[in-house]
Amino acid sequence: ETYNVTVAAGHPPVFRWVRMISEQFIPTVQAGLEGSGHTMTFSEQYGGAIAGVGEELEAVEAGLAEIGTCQALFDPAKLAVQNVTYYTPFVSDDVRQVATTVDAMHDDNPDMLRAYADNGVVYIGAPIGIDDYLLMTNFPVDSLDDLDGRKIAAPGAAINWLSGTGAVGVAGNLTTYYNEIKTGVYDGVIVFASAALPGKLYEVAPHITKFGLGAQYAGSLCANEAWYDALPDEVKAALEAGADAAMQWYHDDLESFVEIALTKMQEAGATVTEATPEMRAQWADGMDNAARVWADELDAQGRPASAILSAYMDAMRAAGATPLRDWDKE
Amino acid sequence: MRRILRALDGATQAANVAGSLLILVLMALVGLDVAGRNLFGAPVPGVPEMVTLSIVAIVFLQIPQALRAGRMTRSEAVPGWLSRRAPWAGRMLETLFDLLAIAVVWVILRSTWPIFTRAWDRGEFIGALGDFTVPVWPVKATILLGCALLIAQFAARILRRWAGGAA
Amino acid sequence: MSPFDIGLIALAAMFGTVLLGLYVPVALMVCSFAGVWAIKGSPLLASKLLALAANDAISSYFFGVVPLFVLMGFVVSEAGLGRDAFDVANAMFRRLRGGLGVGTVGANAIFAAITGISIASAAVFTKIAVPQMIRHGYAPRFAVGVVAGSSVLGMLIPPSLLLILYGILTEQSIGDLFIAGIGPGILLAVFFAVGIVAMAIFTPRFVGRPDDVDDGALRPAEMLRKGLPIAGLIVLVLGGIYAGIFTPVEAGAMGAIGALALGFAMRRLTWGKLWTVLVDTGMVTATICFLIIAAQMYSRMLALSGVPGGIGAWAAGAELGFWGLMLLYVAIVIALGMILDSSSIMLILVPLMLPVVVPMGIDLVWFGIVTVLAVEIGLLTPPFGISVYVIKATLDDDSITLADIFRGAAPFALMMLAVLLIVIAIPSVATGLLPGR
Ligand code: NA
Ligand code: NA
Repeated sequence: ETYNVTVAAGHPPVFRWVRMISEQFIPTVQAGLEGSGHTMTFSEQYGGAIAGVGEELEAVEAGLAEIGTCQALFDPAKLAVQNVTYYTPFVSDDVRQVATTVDAMHDDNPDMLRAYADNGVVYIGAPIGIDDYLLMTNFPVDSLDDLDGRKIAAPGAAINWLSGTGAVGVAGNLTTYYNEIKTGVYDGVIVFASAALPGKLYEVAPHITKFGLGAQYAGSLCANEAWYDALPDEVKAALEAGADAAMQWYHDDLESFVEIALTKMQEAGATVTEATPEMRAQWADGMDNAARVWADELDAQGRPASAILSAYMDAMRAAGATPLRDWDKE
Repeated sequence: MRRILRALDGATQAANVAGSLLILVLMALVGLDVAGRNLFGAPVPGVPEMVTLSIVAIVFLQIPQALRAGRMTRSEAVPGWLSRRAPWAGRMLETLFDLLAIAVVWVILRSTWPIFTRAWDRGEFIGALGDFTVPVWPVKATILLGCALLIAQFAARILRRWAGGAA
Repeated sequence: MSPFDIGLIALAAMFGTVLLGLYVPVALMVCSFAGVWAIKGSPLLASKLLALAANDAISSYFFGVVPLFVLMGFVVSEAGLGRDAFDVANAMFRRLRGGLGVGTVGANAIFAAITGISIASAAVFTKIAVPQMIRHGYAPRFAVGVVAGSSVLGMLIPPSLLLILYGILTEQSIGDLFIAGIGPGILLAVFFAVGIVAMAIFTPRFVGRPDDVDDGALRPAEMLRKGLPIAGLIVLVLGGIYAGIFTPVEAGAMGAIGALALGFAMRRLTWGKLWTVLVDTGMVTATICFLIIAAQMYSRMLALSGVPGGIGAWAAGAELGFWGLMLLYVAIVIALGMILDSSSIMLILVPLMLPVVVPMGIDLVWFGIVTVLAVEIGLLTPPFGISVYVIKATLDDDSITLADIFRGAAPFALMMLAVLLIVIAIPSVATGLLPGR
């Protein structure tokens, strides 16, 4: 049988998590189907051609696309529990560890999968990891006191990370960071290296401090539930193999790029400083436990966020991470 | 008949007023945010989210009045020429257009309904939990309201066209 | 019938129904619905596409500030500040034929430095400039043409939403893109100004009869009294942005607050007038945003049909060499500009072209300026020309038809094409201000 599949992504194909679809997912799926008697042709609709960022899940649910990038980060109401990493900073700066852990939770934790089922979609894998968040500022950070009264932009839930630092958290957007730091609307941002280099943020915020705020999980590939359920097992297996290949490629490429990004930014005159353990501890200890607030709010809506929070923290500790705060146990 | 049309225009006007007030609220919110951030180091949380939601509400609250006031975009050359040359054919064409509009806005209304009920049932929000969230159902409700008023205004155009002075 | 064929039919249907006089958003929505139904074979799926676009297409921070920029302009106009500004411009350029038109271009270039979106420029200057130009004897068609043409400066001179979008699509520095937009923006403004003077001299019937009655130079005190308030507002907004007090997106609200304060302080604004302005702002915003929603539905339908992707892939694979590729690209962008909105064209074409232009060693910042200039020509071309629609909605004057505005804007579209070719031939017009290029 021949399947015509539309793949939707809100981001354009310069983003690694969109490139992984063309570069790995599709070829691997097609290779896996060879000799099975099935073929799959793909219509790739990226950059908001049929669904914008954060609208992909709805488009997949509606059946306008069979497969899409379900961006938990940009769709926090529908994939609420998937945002667990953004409420638990200072857990791990290893992006592959975070992504693999969240991916594995989708294999064996029914609570994780329920969020997809509630929205008429199926998780098929290829988790999108985001490399360790850094603090980039236009002033040197020698101690946490240097942050006092400074305006620091942060995306979405990461604004909670600034509680207790004395900095003023401003809701920001990657696309406008450069100009707004340049004019002085913000004095710095919380951002990841693989975005900071192409955005040239090191020009306006050349003081890069690695606090180990943590790598994150942003989303995954998902498929329309009715369409997926009707697929024969060998086709489902091919999709899964494609997702695994995409995950491997994505994180290989990302990890090598993060190295390059940090080197290039330093070559361009930026300073990269590791925060001392005391500074990190001071930041982490001063924070409100936003994970608790988040989990309680979702629990009250009947969504098992507390259970997910513990499961995630346990899995990360088991994987060898050393969280600065045990967000689940406080 | 005339009473119904007057009530419809009243409702359309009321939606329009609500939209205008919302624009003022947006202006004030952004102003407070800027002042809070610069003067007190305390930005108003959630302003981008409020702006994001409000624009949709403003559009659907005010588009029915824009139609009533003859502001909706169209090329008037052919209808104008036709209504001078063959008034009856002109009215038929205009009526066909209004019916098409009613049909397509109904499609939007009908398929937005499940989006609204789900947002209501599940308490869907935008923003970040722990910092600031707003429920999205009120905006979905204004889309429904705007579409309903728009359909009614298109229907009123047909009535006024064929009933002449009686409506 | 293949989806591609359906897409082509949907293009023809859109042209046809708009020319017949169907409301433009309704035409776009009906064609989208029928198109998706035909492509996917499911009316239910088609209705879902419409609903998702209606709910999401304009739901963003950037669209959210459109009414605030429009409000600022309308308050400026209602408080008579616009009229004052034009008296000053008229006095300064009174020896120049078409001087008021030149003044409009200049004012638009300044306003462009505070707004990131051409819709706002078009709405604001329709209110401020068109009545003044007509009062001074310009042909209505020419007056609206000047406003339509100069509104495109809003997205070329930074800040610019289109350049931000291009920066995201290509991972280019938005700061570099902004700097690269300045040269072509100024060049375009100069072309417009020279073109207006030339048209006033050589095609007086098109321009009208700007009154030769020389009111005489304004006395310096008078000039100050009339010029200071609006100059103060511009300084407030520009200064606020460049001093880092607020963002370009927030500038709309800050400008509106400033204009309101000025209007009330000068006792030129009453609560009644404010209310009229608010209602007007809402209706213009609603009209235009409703159009944008419909255009998004149409663009999503076309994407599913594969027509724009097919054309782009064909151009990308044609192996034409630099000039051949550039000219073909510009031709396709302009053709799509007739039927799609600016951001849709960029979203569809830019990712397709990237793999072709990158190996050719083309400077992506320069390519961005070329793209934005070409895309912006579409703001002025029928049947879907958003700047023209904004002017029509703002004008609320049945004696000036859509066709009049399109005709008035045509010479400006041609001048844009000329500037575009210059930028292609001499890249340093765009990239000259950038260090290290
Ligand atoms: Na601008
Ligand atoms: Na056009």
